[in-house]
Amino acid sequence: MQELPKAEHRSVRVTPNGKNRVVIEKDLSSEEMILNMGPQHPSTHGVLRLECKTDGEVVVEAEPYLGYLHRCFEKHAEMVDYPGIVPFVDRMDYLAAMNSEFAYCIAVEKLLDIEIPRRVEFLRVIVAELNRIASHLVAIGTYAIDLGAFTPFLFCFRDREHIMSLLEWASGARMLYNYIWIGGASYDFPKGMQKRIDEFVTYFRPKALELQRLLTENEIFVKRTKGIGMMPADVAVNYGWSGPMLRGSGVEWDLRRNDPYSIYPELDFKVCVPDGKHSEIGDSLSRHLVRAYEMEESLNIIEQCLDKMPAAEEGFNPRAAIPKRIRPKAGEVYGRAENPRGELGFYIVSDGKSTKPVRCKARSSCFVNLSAMKEMSMGQLIPDLVAIIGSIDIVLGEVDR
Amino acid sequence: MSEYFRNIASSTSTILTGMGITLKHFFNAVKRKGDAGIEESGYFGQVDGLVTLQYPREAMPTPDNARYRLHNDIDDCIGCGQCVRACPIECITMETIKVTKADLETCGKTSGGQQKRFWIPVFDIDIAKCMTCGICVSVCPTECLTHTKVSDFTEFNRENMIYHFGNLSRIEADLMRKKAEEEKKAAPAKPAPKAKPAPKPKPAQQPNASSNNE
Amino acid sequence: MMLSNHFPIPMSMSLNSWSDALSQWHLFGLPLGLVVIAAIPLVFIALYALTYGVYGERKISAFMQDRLGPMEVGKWGILQTLADILKLLQKEDIVNTNADKFLFVIGPGILFVGSFMAFAVLPFGPAFIGADLNVGLFYAIGIVALEVVGILAAGWGSNNKWALYGAIRSVAQIVSYEIPAAIAILCGAMMAGTLSMQQFSILQQGEYGFLHFFLFQNPIAWLPFLIYFIASLAETNRAPFDIPEAESELVAGYFTEYSGMKFAVIFLAEYGSMFMVSAIISVVFLGGWSSPLPNIGSFALNDWTTGPVWGAAWIVLKGFFFIFLQMWLRWTLPRLRVDQLMYVCWKVLTPFAFVAFVLTAVWEIYMK
Repeated sequence: MQELPKAEHRSVRVTPNGKNRVVIEKDLSSEEMILNMGPQHPSTHGVLRLECKTDGEVVVEAEPYLGYLHRCFEKHAEMVDYPGIVPFVDRMDYLAAMNSEFAYCIAVEKLLDIEIPRRVEFLRVIVAELNRIASHLVAIGTYAIDLGAFTPFLFCFRDREHIMSLLEWASGARMLYNYIWIGGASYDFPKGMQKRIDEFVTYFRPKALELQRLLTENEIFVKRTKGIGMMPADVAVNYGWSGPMLRGSGVEWDLRRNDPYSIYPELDFKVCVPDGKHSEIGDSLSRHLVRAYEMEESLNIIEQCLDKMPAAEEGFNPRAAIPKRIRPKAGEVYGRAENPRGELGFYIVSDGKSTKPVRCKARSSCFVNLSAMKEMSMGQLIPDLVAIIGSIDIVLGEVDR
Repeated sequence: MSEYFRNIASSTSTILTGMGITLKHFFNAVKRKGDAGIEESGYFGQVDGLVTLQYPREAMPTPDNARYRLHNDIDDCIGCGQCVRACPIECITMETIKVTKADLETCGKTSGGQQKRFWIPVFDIDIAKCMTCGICVSVCPTECLTHTKVSDFTEFNRENMIYHFGNLSRIEADLMRKKAEEEKKAAPAKPAPKAKPAPKPKPAQQPNASSNNE
Repeated sequence: MMLSNHFPIPMSMSLNSWSDALSQWHLFGLPLGLVVIAAIPLVFIALYALTYGVYGERKISAFMQDRLGPMEVGKWGILQTLADILKLLQKEDIVNTNADKFLFVIGPGILFVGSFMAFAVLPFGPAFIGADLNVGLFYAIGIVALEVVGILAAGWGSNNKWALYGAIRSVAQIVSYEIPAAIAILCGAMMAGTLSMQQFSILQQGEYGFLHFFLFQNPIAWLPFLIYFIASLAETNRAPFDIPEAESELVAGYFTEYSGMKFAVIFLAEYGSMFMVSAIISVVFLGGWSSPLPNIGSFALNDWTTGPVWGAAWIVLKGFFFIFLQMWLRWTLPRLRVDQLMYVCWKVLTPFAFVAFVLTAVWEIYMK
């Protein structure tokens, strides 16, 4: 435990699951510096402002200030018709665009109550899992570069380029795809795509292993992230965490397993929860490990989908099931999907008469995950703060919408 | 005490592993990956070396269905306005003039054989606003509006980012407008609407009538 | 005219005969010889530290990361550093209004001077050394401490909280790591019995080439070698000890506020000190300018590759090798946190340095 300056109480609170958490209480405020990290800062993953009250190197409190990337997604959603909202949804969490579109389309399809052709379901799951790998590559790469390891970042981006080329071939765009449409998908896979994805899976497995040996197993990296930013499971659940953050705290919760959608019930994959052997459950290293294992699981899912996917018959049109005019009946629906960052949900209110939603609220995964920043950062050093932010894997586009 | 030495031992071994990986990449640097596109079957079989391509001298080819700059083949456009309505950003502006009966022949047909019924003096796409979502292309009935593979279209002047596809000059447009108005005025008054037949009784509503999908 | 009348070509390899002869050389009454002597290290430092050090780092890092690096300026980007220097020269020199002007300006100057003053005792060959002090090693280790003053001045004078953080961390780091570094070097000095840099190189010269190097003369010599190498990484603020310049945390540490030529000066001082520690470690443990090739039978490789020019080439090559090693480590490893850095210094390096010291002393006294 680091040396704390004098003139303050240091009390140890024991949480229900037996972990010790240190709370710093100051009775006289000594030299406290308010340090502003951001909004322009190399390691706050976007325009995030963190106001840190520090005492020497120890952070007493770090409060996130948001809104620098607010682009009025929810207002746009009220002015544009349902199919036109899909590109806007892309741009919220731009690193995991396919998964965001997936969540939105699930929500609207619940309201419309239509059935999706089977092959289209497989198309959706394959591109969503590819995008999950790409998003985790960015998360791992930027986490590495925050901690000073410059090389894994470039290796991650080199592999991400392959995924982006694949998705460009499938959908037409490299990052903001507008591929998963309400009731279907915009294009079918071109000829040769399935084989290419298979080759990608074979190519990527050794690269993931190399990344693990270069970064995850490196003792310096482990020392920088083990035991940092501890978050016990009960507190995490109370904050509303989801996704790899929650799984890093030991809670086995994955929407693909616990609230399945699409064809996930037919697929066999593990829900990655750290075992406590390499890291302490609930720290930054666990979250990083969850993401690294999830990449491998996504590869398994993609392989299974490629095997099980029904072949495209003559004249298969992925847009066949899309209604001519999307005018859902009156009602409200909440549809959610497992984003690489957590649970992305859309709460859509429709009045049954117009082609535009009355209200479309996006429940952003990163926003909820970031809300626990104050709690996680108490008593940590400034470099640890950087390690914690990196492990949350925020994308400001989704936090601010 | 033993943990102290174990720490040192594991640090050394993991550092050496990491160094081995970077050295391997360093020695691989004499090879360079080629510029094969994703569509080519040898894409993942390329050499493991430097991956940088020096754009624009070397570039990976863009796939055919890539969504970059828009282009409108104005001769095929029937002026339906679907793209204007579909665009989420409202970056397309279109003005149409109804073609008089006499001019139908001059106006011509689309390449698919459909008779064009509108002159299109103004068809502007603000390419700076366009987010290449592709919705306009997907709703175009004659496929005159397409995406091209051009992604490099920077301009020095912002006004040059508004692409004008309209194919009538102002004088011609005024002429056509006058003709259209004259035709409208000269048209005989519409005959009185035929007496509507008595409305048939609507079929009994199903309990869960889904009248959403038209 | 006989060439040897105008240019003092060394006929023998005796030390300093060449530079003695050169210093006597006058052309048209002007002491051109002395100018040449002064110019050699400057040219070398200018060429190396200022140009190829930076270029080399960018290219090496690029190759390790599967990229090309600079390629546009000049063939394969050789002129890139020149372009960077020209750019930095013509940049606006911003001094904050609230900054302590005197400290702000003098910081980089002291840093630069401290880094390059140690070059005076580096032996660039048997015939050439700037100042053959008989306490050369002691001087080299000590002069690095001047950098600390420069860093503090730069950090405080910037009037920037982040810069101050970086400066304080850097000072703590440099001052702490001088201890294991000095003790490790002391082991080398024990093996040589002298502190003079030129003597180190002479003692490690012999017909068996590299077997005469102190690294191989002693079963325990690898330990101070390793300790000094790691400590030298911390002295020059190189990764994994680059917390003071932690780009992702403190923007740029103690030189955040510097722009233009002052930034270039700090930057180049870092590369200069990189070469300096590489040269020191190669002089103490790897023979300095002596050739590593052994005399194999009739192939008197050692004799063929020894000489004033050869000597300069050898020490430069050995220095470059350690530079490569430093860069290699930088691009592989993440950064250590401040307290972990201190832990490594005080709880790992210093005890091992003491152990090495004792063992070397035992070997020297009893086993030799």
